[in-house]
Amino acid sequence: MESSRKQRWQQLQSVFEPGFKQMLLISVLLHLLVPILYYTPLFPKHKIEKPPVYRVNLVNKIVKNPQAGRPEAAPVKQKPVVKPKPKPEPKPAVKPKPVPIPPKPKPVPVKPKPEPKPIPPKPKPEPKPEPVKPKPEPVKPKPEPVKPKPEPKPAPKPAPVKKKPQPKPAVTKAQESALEARLKKMRAAQKQKAREQARKDKLAALRAAAIAESSNIESPTTDAPVGMMDGKGDQAGVSAVAFVQEFIQKQWSFSKYQAAGSPEAEVKLFYNAHGTLLHYKFLKKSGNSVFDESLIRAITKSRQLSQPLPESMEFHIIFNLKDMLDKS
Amino acid sequence: MKTFKIGVLLIIILCLPFSVAFAARIEISAPGEQTIPLAMTRLLPMGVGAAQPAIATEFQQVLLGDLDLSGLFDMVDPAAFLGDADKLGLRRNDIDFNQWRMLGSEALIKGGYRVTAGKVTIELRLFDVITQRLLTGRRYVGKLTDVRKIAHTFADQILKSLTGEKGPFASKIAYISKRTGYKELYLMDVDGHHPIQMTNHRSIVLNPDFSPTRKELIFTSYSKGNPDLFRKEIYTGRESRLSLKPGLNIGGRYSPDGREIALTLSKDKNSEIYLLGTDGTIHRRLTNHYSIDVDPSWSPKGNKIAFVSDRRGNPNIFIVDIHSLDVTRLTFEGKYNATPAWSPKGDKIAYSRMDNGVFNVFTIREDGTDERQLTFGKGSKEHPRWSPDGRFLIYSNDLGGEKSIWIMRADGTGGRKISARGGNDSHPAWSDRW
Repeated sequence: MESSRKQRWQQLQSVFEPGFKQMLLISVLLHLLVPILYYTPLFPKHKIEKPPVYRVNLVNKIVKNPQAGRPEAAPVKQKPVVKPKPKPEPKPAVKPKPVPIPPKPKPVPVKPKPEPKPIPPKPKPEPKPEPVKPKPEPVKPKPEPVKPKPEPKPAPKPAPVKKKPQPKPAVTKAQESALEARLKKMRAAQKQKAREQARKDKLAALRAAAIAESSNIESPTTDAPVGMMDGKGDQAGVSAVAFVQEFIQKQWSFSKYQAAGSPEAEVKLFYNAHGTLLHYKFLKKSGNSVFDESLIRAITKSRQLSQPLPESMEFHIIFNLKDMLDKS
Repeated sequence: MKTFKIGVLLIIILCLPFSVAFAARIEISAPGEQTIPLAMTRLLPMGVGAAQPAIATEFQQVLLGDLDLSGLFDMVDPAAFLGDADKLGLRRNDIDFNQWRMLGSEALIKGGYRVTAGKVTIELRLFDVITQRLLTGRRYVGKLTDVRKIAHTFADQILKSLTGEKGPFASKIAYISKRTGYKELYLMDVDGHHPIQMTNHRSIVLNPDFSPTRKELIFTSYSKGNPDLFRKEIYTGRESRLSLKPGLNIGGRYSPDGREIALTLSKDKNSEIYLLGTDGTIHRRLTNHYSIDVDPSWSPKGNKIAFVSDRRGNPNIFIVDIHSLDVTRLTFEGKYNATPAWSPKGDKIAYSRMDNGVFNVFTIREDGTDERQLTFGKGSKEHPRWSPDGRFLIYSNDLGGEKSIWIMRADGTGGRKISARGGNDSHPAWSDRW
């Protein structure tokens, strides 16, 4: 009995085993086919869910793995530098200056009121030339008295008194050159100071403007670190997707009085790592030529992003007016 | 087993592209700028003719007014213009588009004028600054007095090229004015200029309406003692009585095809809505109710008419199907709803509602949904009528103690007075494109 059972089992096995393995393989294949099929056009997908609306501060760096934070937050470091006021005030005072002081035309672009003492603002252009000019005057007369001295001296006093003539001209020449050198140094220092100050001021003004601009973006949480709300990385910055979305949206102008129906178009854009648009293509036109043309304008204006991307990227952008028409 | 492993590997390889080469998807659901930045340069003299800056000034003022009313544009401040604004380059290659782009402008209007032998020639171009294309260009020749008309016509053209639909600025508005002491019919431009007195009945003239097919107006006048319906040809001035039934012959409105007139007659002692042929014969009676039925307004398809009736107590808007004569009630809110005007696009019906003794303009959809109040504040706003493209509404407003004609966008923004003071102007009606 047993042997016959064994025989039967062996028979069964010999019949099933090769086929069973194949069947198993086919079964696994078929199961894996399901997710693949899911991505084919055979299964139309629901439209992508609307991403959360956030304003991205376009000053922020684009990073690959943004940290958790707010995309609209302003970069933190620049905040303490608060010199927003010097910019508007000094400007009017700058232009009238070039007239009074001949030796110092270069330091003129000095913008700041407070620090560079030698150059007072508008109201006192006259007193300055006086203190300045006297300096060069004493310099010139000195060489004149100096020169005659060495000439008469060698005649009456032949050799022994070498020490006197030497020290005298040495002193005068040294004085002269020292004075000149000092003057030069002072002037150079002044110029440099003024230049530096001007540069600093420009920088400060630019920074202030940048800060002012970034703080224009209304957000209750500008103190938050720069990042993405769903960021899981460790880099301070915003994601390329959020950045590109904000950048292109800013370039797009379209009036609700142009709108007819609810147009929607899909565009494929390919940016390289420098943030330059290499090519774009309409995957779906809206059928409303006015709408499509406004998109072409927006894309043309977005040919160069204001910041490089972490890598070359392709974006599929769906343009529609859902948010605008809701409000009207 | 080998085949199994290879199979699994194959599947993994097949699946890879789906996970890796997935382009980032972005949805942008509203533009960043909801106006089009437009730069408009002053007209420059072309050729040898003497410069007449008054022409450029007048043209600019009219065109700016129209473009501002459209609500489409954000005008670039002319103070910021750079060198290109002073050059009369009308060809694409002559224009330094980068200058304009630097100013943030997306569209650019340039033009020149020439006056020879009492005739003015105005050349105009609209450019797309971003794609550096010519969008539209026109050359107009006319009398010196035509400068305003040329500006309105080009404004229409600008709207056509930027929205796909022509503007209504070169059309006319009819209205009733009491400038002479009597209520007479007047005609004016869309910006209120060139008012022309059309009637001299020395009586009471009311309810003007334009024929959609001819340069012709209908209105009601008491000049023969009874409120009769008149017809007047605008250019010849010829006038005739169209309907002189005993009692009221009021509120006449041409059908969209111009073949029939809907109006209120009270020949049977009760005011009802009738359809009249253009020869004055009665085609059909549309309402039959003991209450008052007045103020008909055609749907643009010509198959329905909105009207006012107090058959449910208070005056409300109803709609009657002119074939089946089925009547449906449109408005339920408010105690006094009157003077419906069906939009030429067919999507909305404008009307005025009285609350606390003050009328305001509202719109509602044909199915009674989406009721919106467009005007607010002091002053009774009555008799709304649509522009032929449905972009604007005109109405009378008694703000300041005297009625005058006002215009606003169809969403209630940009309201402004267009008729001059001292006329007690009311009952506006907007012509079709002229």
